[in-house]
Amino acid sequence: MANQPVSALVCAGVSKRFSGKYAVREVDLSVEQGTVHALVGENGAGKSTLLGMISGRVANDEGTISVFGQELRVANPRDARHHGLVVVYQELTMVPALTAVQNVFLGQLSSKLGVTSDASMTERFLGLCQEFDVHIRPDVPVRDLSISQQQIVEIMRGVQANGRILMLDEPSAALAESEREVLYRILDKLKERGTTIVFVSHNLDEVLKLSDHITVMRDSQVVDSGPRSKWDKRSIVRAMVGKDAEIVRREGRPTLGDTAVEISGLNLHGGLHDINVTARHGEIIGLWGLVGSGRTTFFRSLFGLIPKAVGKLSLGGQEVAWPRSVREAISHGIVMVPESRRAALVMGMDSKNNYWIGRKPPIPFLISPKRENPLAAQDTKFFGFNTKRMHEPVRNLSGGNQQKVLLAKWAGRLPKVFLVDEPTRGIDVGAKVEVLESLTRLAADGAAIIVTSSELEEVLAVSDRLLVFSHGRIVHELDTAKSEYTVEEIMKFGFGESEEIA
Amino acid sequence: MNDSKKPVAALSNDSTVSDGTTARGRHLINFTSKYAMFGVLVVLIIVATMLYPTFLNPANLGNILTQNSAVGLIAIGMTFVIISGGFDLSVGATYALGATLYAGLTIQTGSVFIAGVGALLAGVIVGTLNGLIVSRLNVNPFVATLGTSSIIGGIAYIYSGSSPFIVNDNPAFQDLALTRILGVPLPIWILVTAFVVSAFLLAKTNFGRNIYAVGGNFEAAWLTGLRVKGLRSSVYILTGGLAALAGMMDASRLGVGQADVGAAMALNAIAIVVVGGTSLLGGEGAIWRSAVGLLILATLTNVFYSLNVSQHWQLIAKGVIVVAAVAVDAIVRARSRN
Repeated sequence: MANQPVSALVCAGVSKRFSGKYAVREVDLSVEQGTVHALVGENGAGKSTLLGMISGRVANDEGTISVFGQELRVANPRDARHHGLVVVYQELTMVPALTAVQNVFLGQLSSKLGVTSDASMTERFLGLCQEFDVHIRPDVPVRDLSISQQQIVEIMRGVQANGRILMLDEPSAALAESEREVLYRILDKLKERGTTIVFVSHNLDEVLKLSDHITVMRDSQVVDSGPRSKWDKRSIVRAMVGKDAEIVRREGRPTLGDTAVEISGLNLHGGLHDINVTARHGEIIGLWGLVGSGRTTFFRSLFGLIPKAVGKLSLGGQEVAWPRSVREAISHGIVMVPESRRAALVMGMDSKNNYWIGRKPPIPFLISPKRENPLAAQDTKFFGFNTKRMHEPVRNLSGGNQQKVLLAKWAGRLPKVFLVDEPTRGIDVGAKVEVLESLTRLAADGAAIIVTSSELEEVLAVSDRLLVFSHGRIVHELDTAKSEYTVEEIMKFGFGESEEIA
Repeated sequence: MNDSKKPVAALSNDSTVSDGTTARGRHLINFTSKYAMFGVLVVLIIVATMLYPTFLNPANLGNILTQNSAVGLIAIGMTFVIISGGFDLSVGATYALGATLYAGLTIQTGSVFIAGVGALLAGVIVGTLNGLIVSRLNVNPFVATLGTSSIIGGIAYIYSGSSPFIVNDNPAFQDLALTRILGVPLPIWILVTAFVVSAFLLAKTNFGRNIYAVGGNFEAAWLTGLRVKGLRSSVYILTGGLAALAGMMDASRLGVGQADVGAAMALNAIAIVVVGGTSLLGGEGAIWRSAVGLLILATLTNVFYSLNVSQHWQLIAKGVIVVAAVAVDAIVRARSRN
């Protein structure tokens, strides 16, 4: 302990470009052995890509990554693992049908000298359980374990495989409050053992509680890095957002029409608590909250994807039954552009046909290019789509163009309520501007739009009213035209706390 | 630039940035891979003609088509199923059921018409059953149709008492196969009509588009509000009907309906579909591709026979061709992804 601090992990000038655009730019990072290092930043700041490069899942274009002084081979997960790097991703990577013991020892069964008996593996496993002070049944298939237990099994596997550096991507995002405590305890134990821990998290309380060192990323770069003592919640948020973060507001107030949709008393057991939302024609409502705050669940229940949700819904002043299926929602005039384009577009089909599937064709039963092409062109053009590429499979299009096709597909139905989930995820800046600008034009034409995004500035820029979600509730509502709050303050609402801040 | 209305438009013009290939290069690759199978067919026909000039005789061509009209009909249904993201291994058993019922009911009722309706109805019922199992119970289509295949086969055996129904006192029974219109046998008319109608259905109608959508991205089709369960079922119903009709045609040609035929039908139909270039992954393909696939395999079989290649070697060759066709598809896909 009295020795010089040893660097467990060093990134030097690491960069990654995706189609010419930097996802991570010249990042230098040094993690001392036996410390807990937190990586924070907004979505799209480059944290996950950086983690991917360290673990060998993503190839770095420039720079080097070394573990205990030894340079890792580029894009070679086996090499990273060999040097003691263990990554626990958000989606766990276990074999669901095998037991906890079998998963922990997966891939190492034959690497031991002599025969590894079930009994000795179970004994080791129980030893680990005791050390971590958890109770996990060794003989149950992991698919029957809770998410938190599965995560612990995954961590155990890393420990068992001589993991010296443990990296965790949003380890607590899927966990309940009490389960988080267990996770924190285990991380403490690991730290005592001398394991180096690097984790990505959106939960600032957790970051401040657990880490010895905090690195903040913004716009693909490391903007600040320092020991825990240097940070408080306010300074982290400021570094994440950027001091000069300016809210680009929607220009001019639109003239609002009648109430288009009124949702009241929406409840979903364990997900949503008494959600009330009203939107008028011409209005854009923004929803913001962290991952797991309930904003996506709200969308999904309104689009009929969660039949268990209960609430009152009235459209244009008329009460209707809460949609229990996608078809019901659509027939009510509620449409949703989901956050994943992959789930919403038929990739092998061209834009024009993607636009038309699910809609009544202009000539019953038949496909009539003459009648269909102009409408598809008109609506996709509204969103800035380059209509020359209308007859190419959407697979060949950029994310931005795909998003425009998707927006046009749903907007073209003239919905009563237009739900848009993450409209600009993974698209370039130019397309981003076009998409947001076209949403405001759509509202100006009288649509009622509800937008949600994990990027606060974006929601603020495009919406008239902002609803902040936290833990399944709307914790704050504000008029974006009146700048009562700064970005930092709004973020704090989302992090689930009110005024008291260090 | 002339259209200065949209200042940001330039940013979206990313056609060549992302993948490095030019649009023209891409079109060329698309064109070649799209029509490559036509080239194979032409080469095969030239080879056949050189080996034995009688290949192109109308009589020989008529024979080839008549012999392959049953499997051709089944391949049409299979094309629908595969494009919708499914798979149907029960076509052989349904084919046998159609043949058995057509012959058996003809003997029992004396009416070819009633027998025909009965056999077709049975095919449709089998298809409906397949569709329900796949779309409502969410059983993997491979397993579902393998299971129904065994059930149908058993029923056909029980119904026929394991012996063939030989129809020798009702000349109308053979009309389906032997009638000629303008000198062309009826099965060829049926086959050609089925190809034309189904090509239209798949390529030119909203129903066809929905089938592509369901097979290309089931989740997207569902989120778009399509009746995904009904769509998935419909292709099995169509295939069941076509397989029964195919069985009827062959029973009529031979004057016999029996339960122990059709074992190779599923593989042959799948071979036709994949050789034509329809992807087993679903969502992509076309009826005309299966027409080309049918002609390729039919020509090849004819060449084998003329060269006196034994049945056993033909089996081996067919297996190799199916695996190779799917492998080529996989390789082309992996390439185009990069």
